[in-house]
Amino acid sequence: MVSPFFAPQPRWYQTAVFYEILVRGFYDGNGDGTGDLAGITAKLDYLQWLGVDCLWLLPFYQSPLRDGGYDISDFWTILPEYGDLADAVELVEESHKRGIRVIADLVMNHTSDQHPWFLESQSDRTNPKADWYVWNDGDAAYSDARVIFVDTEKSNWTFDSQRGQYYWHRFFSHQPDLNYDNPEVADTMIDVCRYWLDVGLDGFRLDAVPYLFEREGTNCENLAETHEYLRRLRKEVDALYPGRVLLAEANQWPEDVVEYFGKGDECHMCFHFPVMPRMFMAVRREQRYPITEILGRTPEIPDGCQWGIFLRNHDELTLEMVTDEERDYMWEEYAKDPRMKRNIGIGRRLAPLVDNDRRVAELLHALLFSFPGSPVLYYGDEIGMGDNIYLGDRDGVRTPMQWSPDRNAGFSRADFAQLYLPPLMDPVYGYQAVNVEAGVRDPSSLVHWMKRMLEVRRQHPVFGTGTFEVISVENPSVLAYMRSLPERATQEDRGPDTVLCVCNLSRLAQPAELPLQRWEGKVPIELLGRVPFPRIGELPYFVTLAPYGFYWFEIVDPPGSRQ
Amino acid sequence: MAALPEELAALIPAYLGGQRWYSGAEAPDPSLVNIDELKELWVADDGTRRLWQAIVSAGPDWYQLLLGERPAGQRAEFLHGRDEAVLGAAANAYFYDATLDSEMAKVLLRVASGGGETATFARQLTAEQSNTSLVYDDRLILKVFRRLHEGRNPDVEVTTALVGAGFEHVATPLISWRDERFDLAFGQEFLAGGTEGWALAVTSLRDLYGSESRSPEEAGGDFAAEAERLGRVTAEMHLALQSVFGSAPAAEAASSWSRLLDGFGPRLEAASAVAGKSLWPDCSLLVDRFGRVREPGAYFRVHGDFHLGQVMRTDNGWRVLDFEGEPARPLHERTAPCSPLKDVSAMLRSFHYAARHVLAEHRVAEWESLLPLAAAWEAHNRRAFMDGYEDVAGIQVLLPERGSVSAVVAAYELDKALYELEYEQAHRPEWVPIPLDALDRIIYGAGSDE
Repeated sequence: MVSPFFAPQPRWYQTAVFYEILVRGFYDGNGDGTGDLAGITAKLDYLQWLGVDCLWLLPFYQSPLRDGGYDISDFWTILPEYGDLADAVELVEESHKRGIRVIADLVMNHTSDQHPWFLESQSDRTNPKADWYVWNDGDAAYSDARVIFVDTEKSNWTFDSQRGQYYWHRFFSHQPDLNYDNPEVADTMIDVCRYWLDVGLDGFRLDAVPYLFEREGTNCENLAETHEYLRRLRKEVDALYPGRVLLAEANQWPEDVVEYFGKGDECHMCFHFPVMPRMFMAVRREQRYPITEILGRTPEIPDGCQWGIFLRNHDELTLEMVTDEERDYMWEEYAKDPRMKRNIGIGRRLAPLVDNDRRVAELLHALLFSFPGSPVLYYGDEIGMGDNIYLGDRDGVRTPMQWSPDRNAGFSRADFAQLYLPPLMDPVYGYQAVNVEAGVRDPSSLVHWMKRMLEVRRQHPVFGTGTFEVISVENPSVLAYMRSLPERATQEDRGPDTVLCVCNLSRLAQPAELPLQRWEGKVPIELLGRVPFPRIGELPYFVTLAPYGFYWFEIVDPPGSRQ
Repeated sequence: MAALPEELAALIPAYLGGQRWYSGAEAPDPSLVNIDELKELWVADDGTRRLWQAIVSAGPDWYQLLLGERPAGQRAEFLHGRDEAVLGAAANAYFYDATLDSEMAKVLLRVASGGGETATFARQLTAEQSNTSLVYDDRLILKVFRRLHEGRNPDVEVTTALVGAGFEHVATPLISWRDERFDLAFGQEFLAGGTEGWALAVTSLRDLYGSESRSPEEAGGDFAAEAERLGRVTAEMHLALQSVFGSAPAAEAASSWSRLLDGFGPRLEAASAVAGKSLWPDCSLLVDRFGRVREPGAYFRVHGDFHLGQVMRTDNGWRVLDFEGEPARPLHERTAPCSPLKDVSAMLRSFHYAARHVLAEHRVAEWESLLPLAAAWEAHNRRAFMDGYEDVAGIQVLLPERGSVSAVVAAYELDKALYELEYEQAHRPEWVPIPLDALDRIIYGAGSDE
């Protein structure tokens, strides 16, 4: 089904703002206590008002839900609690009408152990699906592969007594890895992708891509075979579904992740993981080096590709990508309560992570929206929602979206006891204090600020595709950078798009002297208020910044000089 | 030989006296000033603008003057009202410090690099004592030596040698401009985005003093990880210096060490007098402690003026700058072999200065509650720095035996603090309490081996 609602704009994802939705937690359309696809459709007007460009739905497939739906037990079916195919089609169509695209999570690497494929495969060693998973007589093979969920799993092999063999799993033992060396598996998974693209999805966020293949003597990550398979998938998408996007999740250093762009012939987008904890660290340390270091070691990406960047998501604050010393530091800072530690990370939402300091939340979003990459927001963070650390596993950041001060936070008409998780009810972050209705009514709320920022960002494609250059500032608490695009290629204006961002990472007011000689004679215009600042001269440009303050300046020719 | 108009030459002594980089207190006696060399480095195609270089001797010292010449009446916005930069007017032209004029500065880059480097933008960095630094396109920094010394300039010599030895924590050398007698300028990679160690330490301290936290480890802007890395880089620098320049014979090291110890008695006496009261009546513990050091470790060429202002934090870690040594001392003293622990001690003194410097931003009434924080910050970062330093493989061989390291460090700290006392007394009396505090601590802490 090709959507009629978009002008051909194959690289839309380079300037898009993504909004991550937990289907079960967003809005309950049928009053059964669990969010669903129809519920998201019902709230599209809000999302359009907010100004996001693309929804990213967490897995909505049939699943025993032992891992938040990442344990899929049928790739062709929607989890009945979430709705049916018609609901999915309606969501996609209604979104497209509003200029919003929709991508969804897809787990390629493994299935649930309840998937019929696995049930069949495990029944004996000779059935037609016997070779669909990775089986072995012993548990010694691939011993160089690390165990990812160290808190719960001892080995990547688990013994299955029915078949009398071990099966391979990189994540939980109830999530056996598919055997991509089997061509039937490889073909079938392409069919799965095609099916959902035919339904109208605008792409996938591919979960856990580095682990598709296994080879002895390697760490079984990022293998050439895995890349080859991604190229095959991409070819399929380019040929049949132009304008759809593949977004890879590969929690690795940027110099390794960049391989998943291939030569522009694998994934369109990859998440940039390490920049996220470093934004928090920079604010905590009141200096820019955690950020500039990681951006400095981020390689160029091929034409037509884009990073996905985020502050928080449904998982923990990912700490795999910081050094041990830095990890200890982050733990101490943000997880003084040991319950907050989850695997190698911390399960907090943005607002509690920054002690509910609105200035810090705004600063972090200003960084997110102006760094190279497409920002991904996590549902609820735009209104400053909190978390519930007393819930098990990662549920603490998956509580119901807070729509209003009404019963069940306006999330559901079901009885309270029927809700999949209780909404937050504490005095600071509870739904009576923090909710969409209040935010939308209050012109000075965080959500209004967010909407305004997204509006400004949309007018400046430079944030998506411009170059990024750090401006040298002596004051270590100040981070300044120039984003520039030689030609902005919008309808109304084809001139260059140049934006200077200056951020104060400190809780104290700070001065900064910016060497802007190269832009001598131009005028900075503050983007949120359109106030022209003094002309840039030969001497360093002096600005003062409020605590956690930031400026976005459009750099333009002085009035009258432009013919 | 090209010539400056007569009347200009007469203005040079007064002009020299007005420059930051002139070493004397007042303008030199004109009879002692002589233009040794004068070169026309560049003339504009239309003949109206020129760049002159004059090597001027003033008594025992030499200076490099770079003079721009522009037609009288041409605007000089680039001077930004800095009258002292103007030498004077003559023959329908005016003459001024060319490093302030970005056109001239760019010409200078071409000349100094033999045509190898060009730039679109040039700017001058402010606040320097013996040199003028020009930054080109935020890519290259050219340090123009103002006060010249015959022979190799130690910064050029050491930086180049360290790079040759594989030490990466310096800014890459790009231009070395010299004539038969003098090093005239040194061009290096500009560390864009870098911050002086001093500014980073001050940021950390401001955070600590302004927070509710009572311990530096818990405060957000903890500097310890940086201090630890700085300690490592310092040790790596010493290993590289030793490998390039070699160690002095043990006897020379021993005599240098005992000279240092012998000097303490009279110096402490003088310091007591300076402080205006009878201080430190009993230094015997201190003397005992230093006397127990059997050998002071290897002596070799060291940085010589190591402090937080000489190191830059960049995106790729620390960089060490400026190997000229203490500019006030004669060249042969600056290049003489010394204990690497002299650099270590100097950096530790710098931590103390930083902690106390930020204290001065607060009202005196707050000091009582902040002083323990200052001490805790300093101790915390000293420890981190020393841990990083002593952890580098191979450094132990260059140090005195394990039990003596802290005594040698203390001796050089004492040496430095005595120098500081003298300096502050002469230049910044309000800072005198800082070295006094250090002296107290070194002398009364002498009994304990930390």
